[in-house]
Amino acid sequence: MKNIFDIVQVAKPKTIPEYFQCSRKIRKAINREDTIQWPHVKIAILSSFTTNGMEEILTVKCCEQGIIPKLYLAPYNQYNQEILNPQSGLYAFEPDLVVVFIDTRSILDQRFQNPYEIDNEDRKTWADNAAKNLIMLVQQIKTRSSAKIIFHNLEVPLWSPMGILENKQNFGFFESIEYLNEKIRDEFKRDSQVFVFDYNAFCSRYGKQDLINYKLYYLADLKLNLEYLPWLADEYLAYIKPILSKTKKCIVLDLDNTLWGGIIGEDGLEGICLGPTPEGRSFMEFQSYLLALFNRGVILAINSKNNLDDALAVFRNHPHTILKEQHFAAIRINWDDKVSNMIDIARELNIGLDAIVFLDDDKLNREMIRAELPDVLVVEMPDDTTLYLKTLAELNDFNILQITEEDLSKGKMYAEQRQRDEFQKTVRDLSDYLKGLDMTVTIERATPFTIPRISQLTQKTNQFNLTTRRYLEEDIRRFSEDGNWLVLCVDVKDKFGDNGITGVMIAARDPAEWRIDSLLLSCRIIGRDVEKALLAFIIGEAKKSGAKKISGEFISTKKNAPAKNFFMNNGFSLKSKQGDTEIWEYNLSTTYKAPDYIRVITR
Amino acid sequence: MDELKKLLATVLNIDYEKVDDSLSRETTEEWDSFNHLMLMSEIEKEFQISFSLQEIEEARSYSDIRTLILDKKQ
Repeated sequence: MKNIFDIVQVAKPKTIPEYFQCSRKIRKAINREDTIQWPHVKIAILSSFTTNGMEEILTVKCCEQGIIPKLYLAPYNQYNQEILNPQSGLYAFEPDLVVVFIDTRSILDQRFQNPYEIDNEDRKTWADNAAKNLIMLVQQIKTRSSAKIIFHNLEVPLWSPMGILENKQNFGFFESIEYLNEKIRDEFKRDSQVFVFDYNAFCSRYGKQDLINYKLYYLADLKLNLEYLPWLADEYLAYIKPILSKTKKCIVLDLDNTLWGGIIGEDGLEGICLGPTPEGRSFMEFQSYLLALFNRGVILAINSKNNLDDALAVFRNHPHTILKEQHFAAIRINWDDKVSNMIDIARELNIGLDAIVFLDDDKLNREMIRAELPDVLVVEMPDDTTLYLKTLAELNDFNILQITEEDLSKGKMYAEQRQRDEFQKTVRDLSDYLKGLDMTVTIERATPFTIPRISQLTQKTNQFNLTTRRYLEEDIRRFSEDGNWLVLCVDVKDKFGDNGITGVMIAARDPAEWRIDSLLLSCRIIGRDVEKALLAFIIGEAKKSGAKKISGEFISTKKNAPAKNFFMNNGFSLKSKQGDTEIWEYNLSTTYKAPDYIRVITR
Repeated sequence: MDELKKLLATVLNIDYEKVDDSLSRETTEEWDSFNHLMLMSEIEKEFQISFSLQEIEEARSYSDIRTLILDKKQ
C-alpha cells in the first residue's frame, strides 16, 4: 500500500489523463490512510464556465507539496447565486480559499466577437457597471466568509475587428478590459483578504494563442485549454502555501558554478566567471536577483566546500560581485559534508529545515541533501547556467500574505546577527558583550502602523513568551483604544543594526494593581536584558499612576522555557500555582534597577 | 494501435488488456462525456490528426476510433 507522497513522487504526471489517473490513486489513498499530519486546505472554485479537470489537477499539485486539499466546485456558471445566497453550498463548505474565475468571454457574451455593436460611450458605462458588479460580488463573499479570495482579472482579448486601429479608439474594446482590470486592482490594493490574480498576465505567459481548444469550447464550453490547468494550479499554490505557513525563509547557496562560473580554489580571483562577459553576466544577474530577494526579506546563507579565505576573497575583493559578506546570515565554507553544514545553518538561524531552499549546481550534493534532509526544498538547477536566473525567479515559495517592515528587512537583520555573534566571540564575558553592543531600546505605545506587527509577534513568538496568548489585529486595536489597557512595543537597535519591533507587553491597568497580560520577545533579542528595560519602564509608569503592585502570569508551554525564570529573577514573588499557570506579584514599594547599558527612549 | 490502447486504459481507468472491440461508451461507465472529450483531444495530439466535431460526437467505441485514426493516417 503506497502513501500519497510515494504516489506523487513516482507518478510525475505530464499529460492531462495522467493527472486524472494520479488523482484517482491519491483519492483512494486519502480515504484509507491517516493523513492527519499533513496540512489540509479547503478550496472553493467559482467560475463562469466548465471547470472539469481543475479538481483532479489541483489535488495532484497540492499533494506534491505535502498539502491535502478539499475542493468545492460551484455548479456550472452559478457563481452569482452561490455568492449571493447565504445558504449556498459555498458558505456551508466553509472554505479557507475562494477562487473567483470569471472570464472575459463570459461577461461579454457575443460582444466578445462583435464589440463595436455599442459605441464608446456605452462601453464606458458598461465597463463601470461591470467593475461595480464584480467588486460587489467579492464584497459579498467578504461579508459571509473570512476565506482568502483569489480574484482573477480579465484576459485582454487577442483580436479586434478594428485591427491596427484598435488603439486609436476613444475607449475601445481592449481598453475597456484594461480599464476594468485597473479598477479591480485598485479596489483591492489595501485589502488583506482579497488577492487579485493577474490572469491576463498568466494567459500572455503561456500563450493567448492556444488559450482555447475550440473543439472543447464548442462541445463543452471549456474556456481554458486543459493543458493550461497544471500551470494555473501552480499559480494557486503560490497563495495556498503561505495560507498554510509553508513559506520558505532562507536560501542556502553553493558558491563555485552557482554564484560564479568556475572554481575559485583553482581558477583564482581573476579566473572565475563573474562580470561583464556573456557568461559572467548570467552570474551577475543571478546574484542581482538574489540580492532583490534579500531586500524583500529572504535570508541568504552559504554552504560550500572551499577554503574559507579563497571564497571570502570573492565577496571582499572581486570587482563585479553583487553579493557581499554582509548579505549572508550564516556562512559555512569548509570541507565538512554539506548535510551537517545544513543542519548547523538551520540551528544557527533558528529556522526549520522546511524553511530552507538549497541551490547547488552539483547533482550529487543535491541528491545527498534530498535523501538526508527531505524537508529542505532542493531546486533542480539546470545544466545550462544561463537559466539560473529564470529558475530562481519562477520559485513561488517565498510568498507571504502580508508584508510588514520587519519582514522586508529580515535578510538584513539575520546577517547583522551573524556580525553580532562574531563580536560576542571577541569579548570576555556576557556583560562586556552587552555593554559593547551599545543598545538603544525604544518603547512605544501601539499605533495603527505597529498594530499588524504586534499581532504578528503574539501569533509567532513561542520561546520568550510568558503567556503565549495569540491576538488578532482587531484584538490589539481594541486593547490599545481601551484606557484600562496598555499595549507597548519595543524596537531594539545596536551598533550592528536595527532589529525592528521585537518585543511586546500588554498590561491591564487597575487603579491598585497592574496586571501583565502578555510579555514576549522575538528570539533574536533574547538574552540581551531587553525585558528588564521594559519592566523598569512599566514599574515606573505603574508607580506614577499610584498602583501598589504589579501581577503577572507565567503559563508554561512546551516551548517557553526561556521565559520561565523571568519573574523570579526580577523581584517578583510567587503567589499561587495551578497546573501550568503561576501567578507572580511585584510590590511597587521596592526599587527596581534598570540595566545601565541600555539606553531607553520612550514615545 | 498500442498507443491508442494505452490512452484508453489511462483515461478510462481500466486495464490495458481489457481494451478490445467490445469496449464502447455504452459498456463502460467511466467513458462519460468529459472523458470522451479528453480522450479525443489526446488522440489528436498523439497521432497528430484532427477530428471534426461530428466525428468526435459520433465515435462511440474503441473500434470506431481505431477506424477513424486509420482512415486519417492513410
